[in-house]
Amino acid sequence: MMRPPIILLKDGTENKQGKGQIVSNINACMVVADSVRTTLGPRGLDKLIVDSKGHTTISNDGATILKLLDIVFPAASTMVDIARSQDAEVGDGTTSVVILAAEILKQMKPFIEDGVHPQLLIRAIGKACEKTLKELANLEIKISGEAELREMLVKCAATTLSSKLVSQERTFFANMIVDAVNTLDAHLPLNMIGIKKVNGGNLHESRLVKGVAFQKAFSYAGFEMQPKKYTGVKVALLNVELELKAEKENAEMRLTNVSDFQAVVDAEWNILYDKLQKIADSGANVVLSKLPIGDVATQWFADRDMFCAGRIPQDDLDRLMAACGGSVLTTVSQIEDSVLGKCGKFYEQQVGSERYNFFEECSKHQACTLLLRGGAEQFIAETERSLHDAIMIVRRAKKNDSIVAGGGAIEMELSRLIRDQARTIEGKDQAFWMAYAQAFEMIPRQLCQNAGLDALDVLNKLRHRHAQGEKWAGIDIHREAVGDNLVACVWEPSIVKRNAITAATEAACLVLSIDQTVKNARSPSGGQMPGLPGM
Amino acid sequence: MAQASAQLLFDESGQPFIVMREQENQKRITGVEAVKSHILAARAVANTLRTSLGPRGLDKMLVSPDGDVTITNDGATIMEKMDVQHHVAKLMVELSKSQDHEIGDGTTGVVVLAGALLEEAEKLIDRGIHPIKIADGFDLACKKALETLDSISDKFPVENRERLVETAQTSLGSKIVNRSIRQFAEIAVDAVLSVADVETKDVNFEMIKMEGKVGGRLEDTILVKGIVIDKTMSHPQMPKELKNAKSTLFMFNLQVAILTCPFEPPKPKTKHKLDITSTEDFKALREYERETFETMIRQVKESGATLAICQWGFDDEANHLLQANDLPAVRWVGGPEIELLAIATNARIVPRFSELTKEKLGTAGLVREITFGAAKDRMLSIEQCPNNKAVTIFVRGGNKMVSWSYSSIFRIFKFQIIDEAKRALHDALCVIRNLVRDSRIVYGGGSAELAAAIQVAKEADRIDGIEQYAFRAFADALESIPMALAENSGLAPIEALSDLKAKQIETKNSFLGIDAVFAGTNDMKEQKVIETLLSKREQISLATQVVRMILKIDDVRVPDDEKMGSY
Repeated sequence: MMRPPIILLKDGTENKQGKGQIVSNINACMVVADSVRTTLGPRGLDKLIVDSKGHTTISNDGATILKLLDIVFPAASTMVDIARSQDAEVGDGTTSVVILAAEILKQMKPFIEDGVHPQLLIRAIGKACEKTLKELANLEIKISGEAELREMLVKCAATTLSSKLVSQERTFFANMIVDAVNTLDAHLPLNMIGIKKVNGGNLHESRLVKGVAFQKAFSYAGFEMQPKKYTGVKVALLNVELELKAEKENAEMRLTNVSDFQAVVDAEWNILYDKLQKIADSGANVVLSKLPIGDVATQWFADRDMFCAGRIPQDDLDRLMAACGGSVLTTVSQIEDSVLGKCGKFYEQQVGSERYNFFEECSKHQACTLLLRGGAEQFIAETERSLHDAIMIVRRAKKNDSIVAGGGAIEMELSRLIRDQARTIEGKDQAFWMAYAQAFEMIPRQLCQNAGLDALDVLNKLRHRHAQGEKWAGIDIHREAVGDNLVACVWEPSIVKRNAITAATEAACLVLSIDQTVKNARSPSGGQMPGLPGM
Repeated sequence: MAQASAQLLFDESGQPFIVMREQENQKRITGVEAVKSHILAARAVANTLRTSLGPRGLDKMLVSPDGDVTITNDGATIMEKMDVQHHVAKLMVELSKSQDHEIGDGTTGVVVLAGALLEEAEKLIDRGIHPIKIADGFDLACKKALETLDSISDKFPVENRERLVETAQTSLGSKIVNRSIRQFAEIAVDAVLSVADVETKDVNFEMIKMEGKVGGRLEDTILVKGIVIDKTMSHPQMPKELKNAKSTLFMFNLQVAILTCPFEPPKPKTKHKLDITSTEDFKALREYERETFETMIRQVKESGATLAICQWGFDDEANHLLQANDLPAVRWVGGPEIELLAIATNARIVPRFSELTKEKLGTAGLVREITFGAAKDRMLSIEQCPNNKAVTIFVRGGNKMVSWSYSSIFRIFKFQIIDEAKRALHDALCVIRNLVRDSRIVYGGGSAELAAAIQVAKEADRIDGIEQYAFRAFADALESIPMALAENSGLAPIEALSDLKAKQIETKNSFLGIDAVFAGTNDMKEQKVIETLLSKREQISLATQVVRMILKIDDVRVPDDEKMGSY
């Protein structure tokens, strides 16, 4: 006699639980890690991804790639999340964090299969992680002194850039980025570094504008008659529309007398002329507005040898404000000398096929613009992403002035220390610690693999060196040998490593602690996206 | 990792599970396969352009989906019109575009060079060298090549107009206009020189206007030191017909008023409504309108203007009044033209009639309407302006052979000649501009590439490490430019090249290049085949950059509907 089945969940809901579930989750995470694995290190290669709209992206940045992969598997999306959080927090090391998390999971997989309770594993690696961070704090090297600090920043930026498309020019860009970050105020606001991309030209022609540069705005007739070069510039920053237009929307006038006609027209013109006159009276010679500046105003300014540009993007205005002082006005009634921005030089120049406006020698120096040049659109886009990473690193390193040696050196050392610690532990935790320590070796291993080196050989050499007490021994990719990476100036801010270790461990714990997934059936209207068949 | 190539994973019950959205609909190529398929695609593009290189390069005929025919040998244009689908091939298109944006010339050469570099890279990859190592080696070699170019470069006398013309001729040599090459070269040089700002070494191309009109011959192309606008006098009876039919209306010391307001009663921008309640009111309105017209014309007259150029239109009534008052006028002139006119004539643009004063007027020496042959097309040219910073190149085209053929395809073809002439002129303008910016030059005919190749190859022997191979490959790739030149000129390429190489090494004369036009000498200095250093440098470094980018990709994911690797 069959009993009718108890239907707990709606039809179509996928429900999966138990050990198998954890193992599948781990497998999925490893697939994700595999897709970014080969981007690690100076010999890492790029991925070309074409999305469904046909847009091409070529990237080496872990976070960017994972975002574009569009991962739907629930547990695997944890990987994407940690890559993103690493990106937001420190900006670099997004690939290593994913690889590390996947490797920890991989090391834990045999234990799960052997029937170890996940909670035991979670507890053990949690403790091991604490210990690791403590060791990391002991290992890191503080940098002090102005000149040393700058040098440190340049080296950190260069290390970040070494794995990117622009690696040949890394010292050039590293110096540029450090200069850029140094112009910022104490809070190091990222948006005060403008990055402008101009197709064409050589990477070398990229430059740092200590001030603000932006593309020539759409202009009305009369623009070309305006002077394009000033010294001792006073900039009026406006959020005012300088156009002949209806002052009040939706208003309707009823005229009874034709002679009123002229009066109304005159009134409208005078409103505009009053505004323009006030701006001119304030002494400004460059007028920029976020809103359009119409043809009448353009010609009026041209008549008085002033320069104007409308529809300037907000972030450019913000940067101008940071660079030149002054404030953005929403009305011209209060305009006066004190609210004008001041800078030494203004000029318009051809950059590639575009004309750019430059503001230099600014009074406040708290913003700068990177003008990137490069052969193809995708090329510059990737350069921008690389520079963004480097800027983030420099920002973090500036606030947090301790460094460790990269190139797998720090990972090997941490691995050794945890292994040593593990031997003092009684019980099965020892095995878990050992496995955790093993996971760290994945980073140097992957570096070797990407560079086409013999990973086993190199790792053994490294282990040997570290056992001998050479704590900064790492892989020197360019010489294809093992060497002291502190001397070789492969430096990374320790915060990158700290964040990566914490994030990777947490993600691993999270994946391990999931033993059941309930996935609701997709509502029919949501397209026919393939869900998780058979799960 | 074992799973690296496996797209689908199976759980222990043997059912697949999906990690990425629509992953079964994606195509993925990884590793060396990916690099090779990219090289193939990129080379296919490069091979298309190869035959367009040089003065004996042939043209490509491209038919767009709408049936428009373009015939050109300008690299950037071909690439753009080919509508390339393959994502890596698109990078090559971008490459030629950015050369076009930056330099404006040498768009074919850059693609051919990139293709050659990739071809060499493929051989090295087959030998098992890591792609990034190859790219690194290329970068080093590129630096060496650029150094060589710097060292063999010559200072160019920018002040010498004759020499500039010769340079422009090199650029025009491979184009359709080479029938009247001298004339076009002169036009280009004069145009750039008149707008160039020698102090800042800046040339604003917005000041050079190019107008084209079908009909006539290429030889009829002229440079107008002033503005040509595709408009006529607003009233057919305005002065131009007082003189003889061909070129009309000579007005010396003409006072030009430039207006951006319509010849009509001003309207408030606010929404308004006029209530007319009685016939008197209506009459008053009529009266008012008439008065406004009269005031406007009086204002223009009083300011002393003898020609009004208006951005907007005016109705027939106004037109009649203007005509009655002997005030020639032009209506509906576009914004950019108004601007150029204002600059050329030193006029101020006046937004309201009431603001018109004598000081705001501009002057022009000569305004005339140009008519063309039998066609009714007329254009207005404003010349002898006080400010020569704005010029117009007026391109004519279409040839006799075509003009009697009225089949539709030939008509289109006629159009394209003008377009192609414009493109050629644009290239030439760019070359001159680059010279104004940076006066260093190298010699053409593949001589610079060959010199660089010899130096790079020499340097290769001094390098230890695998980069040596990349260096040699780079040198070989550089030689592909003179090789292609020789091929396109109908010479025996290998023979010509080896001959030349031997001569260059023997005489240490880096000016020896391929004698593509059979002038009887290999000395490019003598042949006066000149290219700007800027352009050559840009070509080599851009090509190296893009090659690096292509070599660095090892994993491709593309939605499956797009055909992969089969460009």
